[in-house]
Amino acid sequence: MASRPLPLPAPAAATAGRSPFAPLAAPLSLLAVWQLACMSGLFPPQVLVPPSEVARTLWLMAGSGELERHIGDSLYRLAFGFAIGALAGLAFGAAIALSRLAEAAFSPLFLTLWQVPVIAFIPTMVLFLGINEPFKIAIVAVAAFFPIALATFDAVRGVPRAWFEVARVYRTRLPDLVRRILIPATVPAVLTGLRIALTRAWIVLVAAELLAADSGIGQMMEMGRQLFQLDVVLAGVVVSGLIGFLLDRGAREIERRATKWRTA
Amino acid sequence: MSAEPFPRPNVESSAPLRGELTNSDLDKSFTIGGQARPVLENINLTVRPGEFVSIVGASGCGKSTLLRLIVGLDSEYGGEIRLDGERIATTSLDRGIVFQDHRLFPWMTLEQNVELALLNTDTPKARRAAIVAEHIALVGLSGFEKAYPHQLSGGMAQRAAIARALVTEPKVLLLDEPLGALDALTRVHVQNELQRMWLAQRSTMVMVTHDVEEALYLGDRVIVMSPHPGRVRRIVEVGLPHPRDRRSPLLHRLKDEILAELTGNPAGEPANLVTFPARESR
Repeated sequence: MASRPLPLPAPAAATAGRSPFAPLAAPLSLLAVWQLACMSGLFPPQVLVPPSEVARTLWLMAGSGELERHIGDSLYRLAFGFAIGALAGLAFGAAIALSRLAEAAFSPLFLTLWQVPVIAFIPTMVLFLGINEPFKIAIVAVAAFFPIALATFDAVRGVPRAWFEVARVYRTRLPDLVRRILIPATVPAVLTGLRIALTRAWIVLVAAELLAADSGIGQMMEMGRQLFQLDVVLAGVVVSGLIGFLLDRGAREIERRATKWRTA
Repeated sequence: MSAEPFPRPNVESSAPLRGELTNSDLDKSFTIGGQARPVLENINLTVRPGEFVSIVGASGCGKSTLLRLIVGLDSEYGGEIRLDGERIATTSLDRGIVFQDHRLFPWMTLEQNVELALLNTDTPKARRAAIVAEHIALVGLSGFEKAYPHQLSGGMAQRAAIARALVTEPKVLLLDEPLGALDALTRVHVQNELQRMWLAQRSTMVMVTHDVEEALYLGDRVIVMSPHPGRVRRIVEVGLPHPRDRRSPLLHRLKDEILAELTGNPAGEPANLVTFPARESR
């Protein structure tokens, strides 16, 4: 019958029928194959450093505070640049979604630049900004700007007409329309955009640090390469991968909490 | 659901001109591919204060367009639509509407969804919660104030939408196939609820539906429209007091008449008879 209440959503049974160790199987196998390849003697140890050696290097670098300094520098650039890029992307995306004039004027240029790999901007930016902090913050901001602007544009355009009609029927005032309808309606898509932009920005930052920097995870790897310390290079690979993974996980968690009402 | 007989609102003697809706010489056309296509032509219809009017007709007869014009979502039309003498040009809290899809906001609880309608009213903040609770009770959803729309069944969501539409106490409530998406059982249940609410609220209601039985069960009058362009074809007075008995022979007779009118067949002759050409035996 109509008045029968639907059951409230049960806590997601995500781990049901799955071992908690399942996510570890693939990385552990990879480590095992890697270690076996080193022990087989097919590659000289200068070329293929065994994982045990990489772990030892990581341990030593963490102990000396060197690793912490590199990670700190990289994360500071990421946070600063991402904040700038996110604010600009949100504002720009909302503007071209709400104004047909702004869309006509800016979207072709925007969509063209969006097709250019962010790395391709590095040489020009180095010429203008040098290789110090402003350059790295700017490259992160640029990397974050595009996906966020695009996600914001799609999110605002995707708000169903029907919801605006409801607001018109109840003569909802503009501040209430923005705060209670427009923002909640766009939050899920915008958060997804922010998450994608965050991991993209991280990748671009590490790449930029590889090319031109005096500190940071990328620079640490580049120094290792120049000094033929491949254990340091691989330590950088592991650390940047882990940081990217954790950023994505954290952002997903925020996304999940902010869109709880979507649980159907 | 309560079957308690409410006294029928005595509309003639109550406060004059509260919710009298007049459509005179109403025309509406859409431009499709550069050509003006009439969707409504020469609609003349006066809905008395407190009356329940049902509108039935085949799809394409412009019945939903008519409601959109009355509620003020579309203000381009010829002729006049007036509510208590005032010409309708835009939306107003005097006119509420319930759409076929409930259009509740999924991130708001039932309570917040209903309260949204009160944001732009001068209702004191302190009174709002009480008014919202009162209307949630009116539609029989007490206890679900904190539920999100996805936690409600289709019938409950539609009743919540009715509560939101009624909370501003509009003079006219427009219902655009509000039960169209519900299954047959839920539909009957919400029809009964709707009748009870109307008897309790006594506001003017205009409901568009494609279900003739529903139109007759709820309406004081049933407007039968014909399509291309939409015109009023016939107005049927249902001279039965509310609440009504679904088994009433009068309702069944009227239903047959209206169906015959809509399908263009004289009553009694099946419309779905197919005659095959006679075959010669081989």
